[in-house]
Amino acid sequence: MKKLISLLLLFTFGLSSCEKDDICDANTPTTPRLVITFYDIANPSKTKNVSNLKVIGDKMDQGIVFNENLAEDDPLRYVTNASTVMIPLKVNDKTTTFKFIYNSLSETPTTINTDVIKFNYTTQNVYVSRACGFKTIFQLTNVAPFIHTDPDGDTFWMTEVDLENPNIESENETHIKVYF
Amino acid sequence: MKHTLKFIFSLSLLFSMFLGFAQDVPEISKNKDTTATKKPQTEKTVKTAKPEIQEVPKDSVVKTDRYGLRVGVDLYKLTRGLYDKDYKGVEFVGDWRLTKKYYIAAELGYEDKTTEDDRLTSSANGTYVKAGFDYNLYQNWLDMENLITIGLRGGFSTFSQELINYKIYNPNPYWGELPPITEGQKYNGLTATWIEVAMGLKAQVFRNVFVGFGVQLKLLTTNKEPNNFENLYIPGFNRTYDGSFGIGFNYTVSYFIPIYKKKTMASEMAKKEEPKKKK
Repeated sequence: MKKLISLLLLFTFGLSSCEKDDICDANTPTTPRLVITFYDIANPSKTKNVSNLKVIGDKMDQGIVFNENLAEDDPLRYVTNASTVMIPLKVNDKTTTFKFIYNSLSETPTTINTDVIKFNYTTQNVYVSRACGFKTIFQLTNVAPFIHTDPDGDTFWMTEVDLENPNIESENETHIKVYF
Repeated sequence: MKHTLKFIFSLSLLFSMFLGFAQDVPEISKNKDTTATKKPQTEKTVKTAKPEIQEVPKDSVVKTDRYGLRVGVDLYKLTRGLYDKDYKGVEFVGDWRLTKKYYIAAELGYEDKTTEDDRLTSSANGTYVKAGFDYNLYQNWLDMENLITIGLRGGFSTFSQELINYKIYNPNPYWGELPPITEGQKYNGLTATWIEVAMGLKAQVFRNVFVGFGVQLKLLTTNKEPNNFENLYIPGFNRTYDGSFGIGFNYTVSYFIPIYKKKTMASEMAKKEEPKKKK
């Protein structure tokens, strides 16, 4: 009888330990961002850091947050000086347009240079788990995966934009290479 | 959380049943032990004809076991539909007494359950069958017919699942949070098989009427999963977890249909008990 009861107790403990899959683990790979890596045009095998690059989605007021630790009114929150950026595509659309503002914090307007890239892609919703639900993965289209334009008429600051990997399924790889 | 709470309630109810029995059992086993030790003496020493022993009538040492079919229904599944709008289900249980201790047992059921998780809502419905055996661990005194069983079952379920709505998990909601996508999708022709260890208790409350509790620990053996989704609930197996384990329980009321009787001699009983006494 005691054995039976202790076995039943074991069941209850088993049940409580099983509840953990109700919470989506932050390390689970879910909807990936587009990864852009910047290279030096003079030395194409070397990555190159950008200078105060700000990325703003089309029709958005705020740029993509690159420094989450800074205050919301701090302009440095929205700029990056790294050699890679990860930008989120719209999961419920087939195109997403971004403004890439180089030297965005500069005092002299002539040194600020804005390029626009429109990404064309198809989406697919993939099941992850009970707790995480679904994720969206993207595939850049074969024809015109991206359109690079220069709205303000000054020269392109991105000398060359190359497609590295059209399948945006994880954030561990570069999808677009930019040389400048 | 609600289900966990329900489960805990039912478990504590189950425990309270055990508590009620815990007081009966020692007395019975004491009686049984003393008589068991006396009985062999009566058999062996009958020829010497001591007056005290002759007083024991021979009829009292012959025990009659009734054999037959027990059929019942799981009250938990049946009543849950009354207060849980997301659940409909029924389970019929049956067992056939094969030998003194062994019973062939089977369950047949239908379940339709809608599960709301944080990021998706899905429903599963289908039928299942479980078959196997039960072994009665309980030593009954005289004409008692209670059971504390441990058994093994093989389970099979054929079911369909429906994805009612889901959310896209996006850790970078720069473009804003999206409402759940309600494009329902139905996945038919799913099957699963599993084995389970079943522990149960059946008490005769009126003549031929039994009330029982059962807990099952399950292990999935095969699971035909839909494309780009997962079997989150399998009728008969219940909720699936990350691994292949599952749990279940039932609360049954059943009726025993006696078919034939077998007499067990006291000497037989005594022989069987000998190894137990050594412990």
